[in-house]
Amino acid sequence: MTISIKDNLTWLQVQRYWELLRVLVVRTLKVRYRGSFLGVYWSLLNPLIMTGLYTAIFGATFSSYYGNSILNYVLAAFTGLVVINFFSASTSQALISVVGNGALLNKICLPVSVFPVSMVAANIFQFSVGAFPLLVLMTLVNSKSSVNVLALLFPFLALILVSTGIGFLVSALYVFFRDLPYFYELVVFVIWISSPIFYPAAIVPKQVKPFLSLNPLSPIIESLRQITLSGAPPDLGLIWGALLSGIIILSLGWTCFHLWRHQFMDLL
Amino acid sequence: MEVIRLDQVALWRRTQEEFSYDLKKTMLSILEGKYRQPTKKLVLNNVDLLVDKGEKVGIIGANGSGKSTLLKIISGILQPTSGTVRVRGHVAPLIELGAGFDAEISVMDNILLYGVLLGFSRAEMKERAQSIFEFAELEDYALVPVKGLSSGMVARLGFAIATDVQPDILILDEVLSVGDESFKNKCKQRMDKFWDDNATVLVVSHDLEFVKQSCHRAIWMNKGKIIFSGNAAQTVDYYLNGL
Repeated sequence: MTISIKDNLTWLQVQRYWELLRVLVVRTLKVRYRGSFLGVYWSLLNPLIMTGLYTAIFGATFSSYYGNSILNYVLAAFTGLVVINFFSASTSQALISVVGNGALLNKICLPVSVFPVSMVAANIFQFSVGAFPLLVLMTLVNSKSSVNVLALLFPFLALILVSTGIGFLVSALYVFFRDLPYFYELVVFVIWISSPIFYPAAIVPKQVKPFLSLNPLSPIIESLRQITLSGAPPDLGLIWGALLSGIIILSLGWTCFHLWRHQFMDLL
Repeated sequence: MEVIRLDQVALWRRTQEEFSYDLKKTMLSILEGKYRQPTKKLVLNNVDLLVDKGEKVGIIGANGSGKSTLLKIISGILQPTSGTVRVRGHVAPLIELGAGFDAEISVMDNILLYGVLLGFSRAEMKERAQSIFEFAELEDYALVPVKGLSSGMVARLGFAIATDVQPDILILDEVLSVGDESFKNKCKQRMDKFWDDNATVLVVSHDLEFVKQSCHRAIWMNKGKIIFSGNAAQTVDYYLNGL
């Protein structure tokens, strides 16, 4: 009897969490795109313009690393940019989410973690309707295989895991250190430059390379590029690498969030 | 039947004034060896409380005596440092109307958002939307963003959403009726309905006359402790004499 009540309770909690997530995501998206004609597709504008810019500046120089094809450079830059954009947008939005809803948390009993998660979820929706169809198209053209299209989900999943983990970590830290956004901007910039987005990984000196492999986004970008651009069947090793990086970061972020959560309410 | 039971509840909270929110400063102070653990303050001191179903309990005391903190413990917003809290039923807070609103989205979306935040399901809120609009007299404003409403309308909306539902335990922290005279009357009627129904009500108020008249029982808190608990009129008298 007691067990069934307990089960029921956790089921109710899951349901409540899901409902909260849903209204918060809808709220975020509605506020973000209220009254704009292109709506959610604005989020594609940034990576497209950046890709154009990089191609104009670096395209000619670096195309030799991409089989002497500027088109290949364009595609490589685009895949890298959508990943880093997703990461930086969702984590910096998650960062302020707990403190930003502090007034609410002081009045209503809510699961705190729903706020950073809802920020990542809003970006997942945006990505799924914006950049993801383009990636699917690119994959179909390059590989002509539906296996590759399906495999796209794995680096994307890894990206979600990494972003959620970092989102938990920074949103918790921001409760304690309100000057964190300045530092975090720097961190995002370091991650951005250290991911081989607009330059080929081959130009990095041997001594520096091991440091770059510490970047949690590198395996994700590599795996995504291999699936979309190479035309070869998905490389499982790369997929596992990306997923592993995601799982490690998520467990780290969640552990910190969970351990510090009890102190949040005194500081909000 | 008891619905709320607090046993030896104590709560230590960090004092915000002494805390440095600065990463740079904190790192420097660690490097200089000057870092110290944040100081904590005892906000609730061994509080025991039993509330039966249907009771209306007023909580009185000076500012900073722990009244609102006690309500937060009961709503589950704060976890006690020691002791146990047991609450049976759905707790609905009615604190500072409109805190959960987003000014950018429409009134309808806000009803769903606020309702779900308060612990009701989306489907439930959709069904209730009509009666909420009617009560708040905002039928013509369903698709208007909340920032297009006057502050009185926002307060009306907040009150309508929070009280449209029938919670088992209603928590009031200095909530007064809002809006113009005719709406104030409506609010009063609705509050009276809560009072007549078998909902349990906990109210923090500085309006001693109100506590005397409307509550069965009153609790006098001072410095995190319950000094006296008993018949409302008696408690208010003690409180006034004790000042």
